[in-house]
Amino acid sequence: MLSDISDINSGMAESAASTSDHLLGQVLDQSENGLFLVDTHRRIVLWNEWMVQASSISRDGAIGHPFTEIFPSLRGKRIESVINAALDTRTASLLSRSLNKAIFPLYFSETGDEKQRIEQSVIVKPIQSDGHDYCLIQITDVTPMVQREGVLRVLAKEAEEAQKAAEDVSRFKSEFTSTVSHELRTPLTSIRGSLGLISSGVMGKLKPEVAKLVDIACNNTERLLFLINDILDIDKIESGKMDFVMGPVDLMVVLRQSLEANQPYGEQYQIQYVLKKIIGDLKVYADTGRLMQVLNNLLSNAAKFSPEGAEVEICVLQNDSMIRIEVKDHGAGIPLQFQSRIFEKFSQADASDTRKVGGTGLGLSISKAIMEKMGGAIGFNTVEGKGTTFYIDICVIDQV
Amino acid sequence: MLEISELQRDYITEILNISMGSAASVLSEMVNEAVSLSIPEIDFLPRCDAAHKFDQINTVKMSGVTQRMSGAISGDALLIFPEEKTLTIVRALLGDTVPVESLTEMEQEAMCEIGNIILNSVVSSVADILKREIVSSLPHFIKGTGKEVFSVESNNHDDLVMFLKVDFGLESQSINGYVTLMLNVDSLHDFLSQLDAQINAI
Repeated sequence: MLSDISDINSGMAESAASTSDHLLGQVLDQSENGLFLVDTHRRIVLWNEWMVQASSISRDGAIGHPFTEIFPSLRGKRIESVINAALDTRTASLLSRSLNKAIFPLYFSETGDEKQRIEQSVIVKPIQSDGHDYCLIQITDVTPMVQREGVLRVLAKEAEEAQKAAEDVSRFKSEFTSTVSHELRTPLTSIRGSLGLISSGVMGKLKPEVAKLVDIACNNTERLLFLINDILDIDKIESGKMDFVMGPVDLMVVLRQSLEANQPYGEQYQIQYVLKKIIGDLKVYADTGRLMQVLNNLLSNAAKFSPEGAEVEICVLQNDSMIRIEVKDHGAGIPLQFQSRIFEKFSQADASDTRKVGGTGLGLSISKAIMEKMGGAIGFNTVEGKGTTFYIDICVIDQV
Repeated sequence: MLEISELQRDYITEILNISMGSAASVLSEMVNEAVSLSIPEIDFLPRCDAAHKFDQINTVKMSGVTQRMSGAISGDALLIFPEEKTLTIVRALLGDTVPVESLTEMEQEAMCEIGNIILNSVVSSVADILKREIVSSLPHFIKGTGKEVFSVESNNHDDLVMFLKVDFGLESQSINGYVTLMLNVDSLHDFLSQLDAQINAI
């Protein structure tokens, strides 16, 4: 076999023993992989053109020489032991590029002054022919793959850093909002208290024009407090810190309390809340305070967006284990293009409306989060020019 | 399930652990970090039971390395881990890696080499006990459920599987994986009688 292999090699250069050997020699030389063969004496018996180019060692310079003489730096290295294993125990091995940096001293030939080492992946296989054992070493140039993964690594690290930075900003923003809101609420509460005392006349009767100014100050302080409380709620929802004390709640009691509380607000907009349809006493599974917050939001919204003198109708409906509370106004309805964003933060259909009707644009977003946390739902039906019905669905515990 | 004596079990475990030790030192030297490998458990199971055992062990995806064996025994040798553990092993050994959710092409190749080192050690220990040659092919990367990686297509239901639990110890943690080796009944009898002969010679 050894002579056959030598024939293949010499066939690459000069007269071939046979056409098939010559052809085989050509095939080996055309290969885009480095190929060489080692016999049981650890001598090189085949050395293809790729090896000649990458090692700058001619075929004559390699063939017949011991492997460790051609690559003295690899003596005692893993590649030598896997070649031994292939020849002694017919074991095939793979040497990956990642775990074995540039195994053979092989270089690109066309790289100017500085020699660039070829990144390699190497497989070592036992071969048997005519009772002789050989070891085939096949080297693949994986330089393009290494470069590709280098780029991928840089991109992935950049993406990771960008994400971390975004998270930092988001956390900072949230902490900032929370701190500022708390810091604002404390002095504002005492301002409201003081204005309340002045307005009530405890500190002496006010002149009508002063009373008017104090009322404006009171109303705006109230508005500011609502805004701050909404911002704090949104912050709690987003950070998952909004606590719920869930339990059985008398729905009609909560609804009546909410209506009562909103009555003055309704009067301000000259609207009338009307309980159109009710059902018997029911207990729902909810957090009383939070449910009241949602109802207040729907009732005050309906008042704000109703024309003067209109009615806001409230209906309570039951469908099996679900209760639906509807709040219907006769306002302008919600424009189609705005309907998909209605529950988003800081959204009001017409930005100019914010001033006219007041509010932060946070109420519905908070209400939606609260309803979902309580296992319920919120939604609406609207007809432009005719009005909007907002509803909440909530689970019944039992009928009392 | 095939019954083997305590003595036989101890002997196989001892021999396999010696070769695991040398595989570990090859790996340690390559990555310049302490790597330990040991086999705490050995079982011989029918092929279908072994596939079932994988599914029981882990319903999540598995990944690893397979090699074909021919000669004294023919079939597949497998080294598998739960998929995320493969990621842990490769990335711990390579150090600087690409932070993406699955192994890149080059990381798969590195895993193939790790598997190749471990499987070659196991296969050559078995060949030593058999005193016959087992030729093993190059490693391939595989992934799938227990059943998929351990294809149960074999028509020969008499085939038995040597089922080894492997502890892959890295500096910071220990990872459990499995090595399986297909043995047909003839080679198994051969294996056990050679084993007895060697035990008696001690």
